[in-house]
Amino acid sequence: MVDKVLELGGYAAGYAGRLYAHAGADVVRVEYGVTPPAWASPVAMDSFLHAGKRRVATSDPTLIQQLAAAADVVICEASGADAVHALGFQEWSTPVKAALTPFGLTGPKRNWHATPNTLLAMGGYTVLMGDAEREPLSLPGHYLEFQTGALAYTACNAAQLAGQSTDIDIGMLETLMSLSQFTTVRWHCAGELRTRHGSDFWFVVPSELFRCTDGWAYINIVPQFWDAFTVFLDRPELLVDGRFTNNGLRMQHRTALHEIVAEVLATFSVAQVHERAASCRVPVGVVQSFADVLDDPHLAERDFWQAVEAAPGAPEMSGVKLPSLPFRLGDKKSTRLHLNGVKPLTEPTLWGRLWGR
Amino acid sequence: MTNPVDGPLNGVRILDLTHVWAGPLAVRMLADLGAEVVRVEAPTSRGPRVFPSAPIGGWLSGSVSDEPWNDSALFVKLARNRRSLALDLKTDQGRAVFLRLVTQADVLVENFSARAMPSLGLDSATLQRANPQLIYLCMPGYGASGPLKDRVAFGPTVEVMCGFTNMMGYGPDEPRNTAMALMDPVAAANSTAAVLTALRQRQQQGNGMRVEMSLHEGGVSYNGPWLIDHQLGQAPTCMGNRHPQMAPHGVYRCVGEDEWLALACADDRQWQDLCRLLPGLDASLDLRARQQQQDDIDLQISAWTSQRSKHAAAELLQQHGVPAGAVNNVPDMVDDPQVQAREFFVRYERYDRPMPGNPIHMPGLDSSQWSPCPRLGEHNAEVLGDWLGLSDAEIAGLQADGVIVDKPPA
Repeated sequence: MVDKVLELGGYAAGYAGRLYAHAGADVVRVEYGVTPPAWASPVAMDSFLHAGKRRVATSDPTLIQQLAAAADVVICEASGADAVHALGFQEWSTPVKAALTPFGLTGPKRNWHATPNTLLAMGGYTVLMGDAEREPLSLPGHYLEFQTGALAYTACNAAQLAGQSTDIDIGMLETLMSLSQFTTVRWHCAGELRTRHGSDFWFVVPSELFRCTDGWAYINIVPQFWDAFTVFLDRPELLVDGRFTNNGLRMQHRTALHEIVAEVLATFSVAQVHERAASCRVPVGVVQSFADVLDDPHLAERDFWQAVEAAPGAPEMSGVKLPSLPFRLGDKKSTRLHLNGVKPLTEPTLWGRLWGR
Repeated sequence: MTNPVDGPLNGVRILDLTHVWAGPLAVRMLADLGAEVVRVEAPTSRGPRVFPSAPIGGWLSGSVSDEPWNDSALFVKLARNRRSLALDLKTDQGRAVFLRLVTQADVLVENFSARAMPSLGLDSATLQRANPQLIYLCMPGYGASGPLKDRVAFGPTVEVMCGFTNMMGYGPDEPRNTAMALMDPVAAANSTAAVLTALRQRQQQGNGMRVEMSLHEGGVSYNGPWLIDHQLGQAPTCMGNRHPQMAPHGVYRCVGEDEWLALACADDRQWQDLCRLLPGLDASLDLRARQQQQDDIDLQISAWTSQRSKHAAAELLQQHGVPAGAVNNVPDMVDDPQVQAREFFVRYERYDRPMPGNPIHMPGLDSSQWSPCPRLGEHNAEVLGDWLGLSDAEIAGLQADGVIVDKPPA
């Protein structure tokens, strides 16, 4: 049986709906209110998130309620708890309903105003990014919303798997805090605050961004790769250098080691870094431009890219490559998805076009 | 016996062979939803008996204990709500036991390199032969095929390979890595989505399957909108803390050492609200004008924030309808009234250490049921008895042969 999924809201709901659409669900996205600011153009956001969905526009709560009544799942993202309730979320009879808000549906800040950069700050990410003596950096892009959407999709499917009717409440701030690395336990258990150090991961040395002759490479040498890394650098004498024989010592002599690595990397081209990283089996990556990523033979061989058939209003999408889902199930190939335009939703068209009874 | 917590995934049995971050985080989320998880661990999976230095997240007790392998705070944080079976898969007996466990499982999750499981004689075909209903989630850094499949991958090195570094930094000439290995949580969150997709497909169609989640493709996928714009000739570029569709949008210095506030105006109304608080700003400016004058606007905002604490500034801005938040460190997060009201940090672990909670709130999920990270091999006998019906003598035999252990080798 095909899931009927109703999607309302911004990019978190959009990502959850995207996952449903790729899984074969019948996703109807309702455009209401103002589209939140994005890191990319509207056509890019629409193509990425909304291909494979049907899209209607209405702000009529009665029509939305009727759609919700016919849906198996509602994913509803809004600016705060009151905004969710104003849509009528609590009255909808949908078996599985998820509310995605910045702070969750309860608590004193449930209606605080938020953008991704204010949430990333409050969730402990911003303080860790950027250079020590400069302003911290926020995270560009839609990490926060897409992660929240992935969790919403997981939660809704879990409820559906169990045959449960349920309301789900996901706060984006908590999404961030739940996915943090070791920052919180380091404070709670070791009493140490993690701080920012540019691109340097700090606790594993060397872990830093270095210049090559024609680009940049990131080196992340966790201890078991140190021996191989000296081969990568073609500096075998480092193996017996007393300053560098374990990670603790390498942390003590970070500056000296970074100078050596920088000196060597400055003589390597990106192609050489690639080749040596593969042959020496060390964790090294090179900074790829967007053009590099789009032309990446690895992704091409893995049939990663997807095509989209655009609506008449977006002919420029012809030939554009879309990333497929991050995961692949069995031998299933990506399907070609259609990007529909937005149609106004009115009472007479409601049941004829959508989920007719 | 440690029961799974109540949740919609009750009845789903997971074999957890994960390590480091992405895999354990994915499994933790599934366990929080009620899955029954058995962590199958190599005798050395938690490190040696004697550690050369403190682990990256510190010791759970605050100092090194008699069982340091059980007390890495980072490991513990990711390993709640599961049982531990310490089984040596490099032995024939261990592999045979494992394949019997596979017959009883719904899901197997591992995040080794692409060649690790085949080298153990546990390739996908073998696993699927043992249990055609099995959902086998593997998480190789660059996937299990293609020219990069054998490249060593960690979050920070994959991050640069995805194109993200084009956008992260102080400007186009000053790229930065997040140094937070964000590809790991991307893979973790999408892995849970993948497992649920597969479980529901199996529920409807009856088939198990292999599911592959590559860290690399997770990162590339999240950069999708930028990659599309690049093809449309709208090349995105690194903007530091600014935003292409919001102004102002930044991080501003406050009173105190390394104290900052994040602020953004997502529309004209929020800008006008900000102007009520900072009358020197021109409320009539539209987005384009604000972007053109952003240097001056940032100076005025900084002059205002630099006279206030980050928390006081955030409160005041919020009262005026402007999105703002303190740049929090961990103590700030823990003290946040919102975080406290929703009881996000939970004290179920040994030594009463608070651990991050579950962001998914739904009726029936109850963090008071959570169990702490098990000790290595704590549930050897229990799991082998429950899942396989092995007798005490058989279990003792496996122990005598070193196939199951409860501490790392000396």
